[in-house]
Amino acid sequence: MSMIEVNDLVKWHGSIEVLKGVNLSVRRGEVATIIGPSGSGKSTLLRCLNGLETFQGGCVTIDGLRVGAHDGAVERARVQRQVCLRVGMVFQSFNLFPHRTVLRNVIEGPVYVLGIHPEQAAERARRLLARVGMSERLDALPRQLSGGQQQRVAIARAMAMEPQVILFDEPTSALDPRMTTEVLAVMTDLAGDGLTMVVVTHAMHFARRVSQTVHVFGEGRIIESGPPAQIFEDPSQEATRTLLSEGLAA
Amino acid sequence: MEENSGASESDASPTDPSDPDHFLSREPVGARSVVVGPSAPCSFPADRTRTEATSRRLDRSQLFCLGLILTGLVTLAPESFALAEGAGLDHVRSSGKLRYGSDMEGGGPYAYPDPKSPRDVTGFEVELMAMLAKDLGAAPEFCQGQWEMLLQLLDLGQSDIVVNGYEWTPPRARAYLATRPYYVYQLQLMVPRGSPIHTWDDLKQPRPGGGRWTVGVLAGSAADTFTALEGGKNVRAIQFSGSTDAMTAVQNGQYDATLQDVPAARFYLDRFPGLELAGPPESHGYYVIYTRANDRALRDALDQGLARLIARGDLRRLYEKYGIWSEAQRELEKLTGPPEVISGRQAEGGWTLVSRYWSSLVEAACVTIALSLCSMPLAMLLGLVIAIGRIYGPIPVRAVLTGYVELIRGTPLMLQLFVLFYLLKLNPWVAGIGGLAINYSAYEAEIYRAGLQAIPQGQMEAALALGMSRWMALRRVLIPQAVRIVIPPVTNDFIALFKDTSVCSVITLIELTKEYSILANGTGGATEFALAASFLYMMMSLPLSWFSRWSERRLGTLGVKGGAVA
Repeated sequence: MSMIEVNDLVKWHGSIEVLKGVNLSVRRGEVATIIGPSGSGKSTLLRCLNGLETFQGGCVTIDGLRVGAHDGAVERARVQRQVCLRVGMVFQSFNLFPHRTVLRNVIEGPVYVLGIHPEQAAERARRLLARVGMSERLDALPRQLSGGQQQRVAIARAMAMEPQVILFDEPTSALDPRMTTEVLAVMTDLAGDGLTMVVVTHAMHFARRVSQTVHVFGEGRIIESGPPAQIFEDPSQEATRTLLSEGLAA
Repeated sequence: MEENSGASESDASPTDPSDPDHFLSREPVGARSVVVGPSAPCSFPADRTRTEATSRRLDRSQLFCLGLILTGLVTLAPESFALAEGAGLDHVRSSGKLRYGSDMEGGGPYAYPDPKSPRDVTGFEVELMAMLAKDLGAAPEFCQGQWEMLLQLLDLGQSDIVVNGYEWTPPRARAYLATRPYYVYQLQLMVPRGSPIHTWDDLKQPRPGGGRWTVGVLAGSAADTFTALEGGKNVRAIQFSGSTDAMTAVQNGQYDATLQDVPAARFYLDRFPGLELAGPPESHGYYVIYTRANDRALRDALDQGLARLIARGDLRRLYEKYGIWSEAQRELEKLTGPPEVISGRQAEGGWTLVSRYWSSLVEAACVTIALSLCSMPLAMLLGLVIAIGRIYGPIPVRAVLTGYVELIRGTPLMLQLFVLFYLLKLNPWVAGIGGLAINYSAYEAEIYRAGLQAIPQGQMEAALALGMSRWMALRRVLIPQAVRIVIPPVTNDFIALFKDTSVCSVITLIELTKEYSILANGTGGATEFALAASFLYMMMSLPLSWFSRWSERRLGTLGVKGGAVA
């Protein structure tokens, strides 16, 4: 059974058609990567999944919760909130809350959204932060951390909500190679957990080694999908070949 | 002390002079002034300005400033500001001009804009000065000044004399030279048509329906003092900044009656068709012309001029023309000099004065504090709601709120207070606090809007992605960050509001600045009162700046405790 089902998703930014009928299916527990040139609409697709963007056509179903383009605003908002509780997101620029410490960033959602007791939430947050290697900096403020550290905290923050899906929106694009490595290590670790992950990335080796399915995106639609071996070894589309040659060269 | 009755009768409203329409007796005759006497001639000229300047500063600079002022006052004795002995008459003769200080704002029938050519001034005092100046071989020159500042302008040499319904009072007479009286004034009660009040004595009966009779008076005027002394237990004085303001409020039905100087009551009666005169005039006192204390020659020349006008009947004809002649004016022929200063009493020094009136000053300071502390939190709350509505609300809401902000920012606070008090007829405290809150909410809203929009978009997205509602995201994530940005500008506005409370004196709430100018003007202890008021302002504003710095430290980007805000 699929965790995420996207049917004919159409999204307009003013007069520009950003998504031109996207179809995507992600199984429960699957790690899917989306690769593609900058500006092709990958991030927009991701943001449509958890309601940060609205769309004009098609529908998105996550864990059986369906949001259609033509649903009423009230209905859509109601479903969207439920979707958000099942879907976590990690952003390119981390977006940690700068006025809260590391620990507080992580317990903010569980305490105020899920209503978990702060002690219990802190306990769980410490475990998560230990897992991403941030146990030492519980009381630091985001600005006192490196980008890689911030992103690891952001991953812990998303995990703290115990989501069924985590969306990664170019999680390493703002990081230097060494920090990229540490963040990808954390993501690889999570991938073994049965968590559903959708990762928009330019990190080809991650796509190749960790994901079960690779979706190649271009010009507002998915050009081709398949297991990494097939996509990387024997792409069927010319555009994919071009992308990979550029990507691998970079 | 008698003067306390003045303050206590009038519900936290000290007194005030600066105003538009007071042509009346604008001086405390009895209570506040009789007992007091300044020892030194006159006041330090610019002290009011200095008081305000001092109150504006915060931080360490305040102490420094006070130090400067103190040093300045000690070293530059007031005498050094006085003009050369007897310069007044020489100056009038050599320049060919007799400059008289007066205030035409709401000043009928004393001095007011000429209805036939509004750029000129007319009035019985204007015509009187024309006659007296001619007598001295000079041309009269009208010097416009705010009424309660006229004597200080005289000290500065901006005018040669002051003539504007200034009553003779002993403290005045010690600091300045007074001519013989040129008018005997009395006080007239005005009531709404059909009022149960027919004479002043009716106010001594308990008010039907409970409470006390409310009588509008010009703050700091003879009517104010008379009401305080003679009103008894059943009367409460409501102190207005202008005589016509009091008439408007009584005509509106907001208060029971108003006590006015006879000339003003008669002059304005036909413009207030809802009012009528009640009973015969009460009390009486004298209007005199003041010169600087060392201008004896000028004073004597004016005395001679007045004597001639009285003897020839010119003065009577003038008063008849304005409809303000009364039998009481016959006394003018007998009063050939200024009334004697009561002797046998040692003139009191300024600091004795300050200690005597200290409670009035503190009471006025409490009004300032109460207005600021009640209105600012309301303004901040209202501003936040407006800012959020303008950023996140649906388009019609945004449009309405934008209009609100533009309307409120684009009109003066004083007019807003007038609307709340005179048109909506709200209680003065409600109107004052509400007006300040509404006025400042527009400014706060813009500050918050800027603060909220300075937070990166990603913060809202991260919060929404965690499953927060928009409202929770604002409360938990955006507002706490925006607060840190807006503390300095909001503190700034708090300080501005703190000073703007003085505008509330136009709706009978008399706070520290107003009380200062009333006391300084009524008693002659301007310098000492300026220092006392400065001291009080500083005592009030220092905690404010401490609080501001403390909150900046506490909420600054570093050292933040997560739950501290929101």
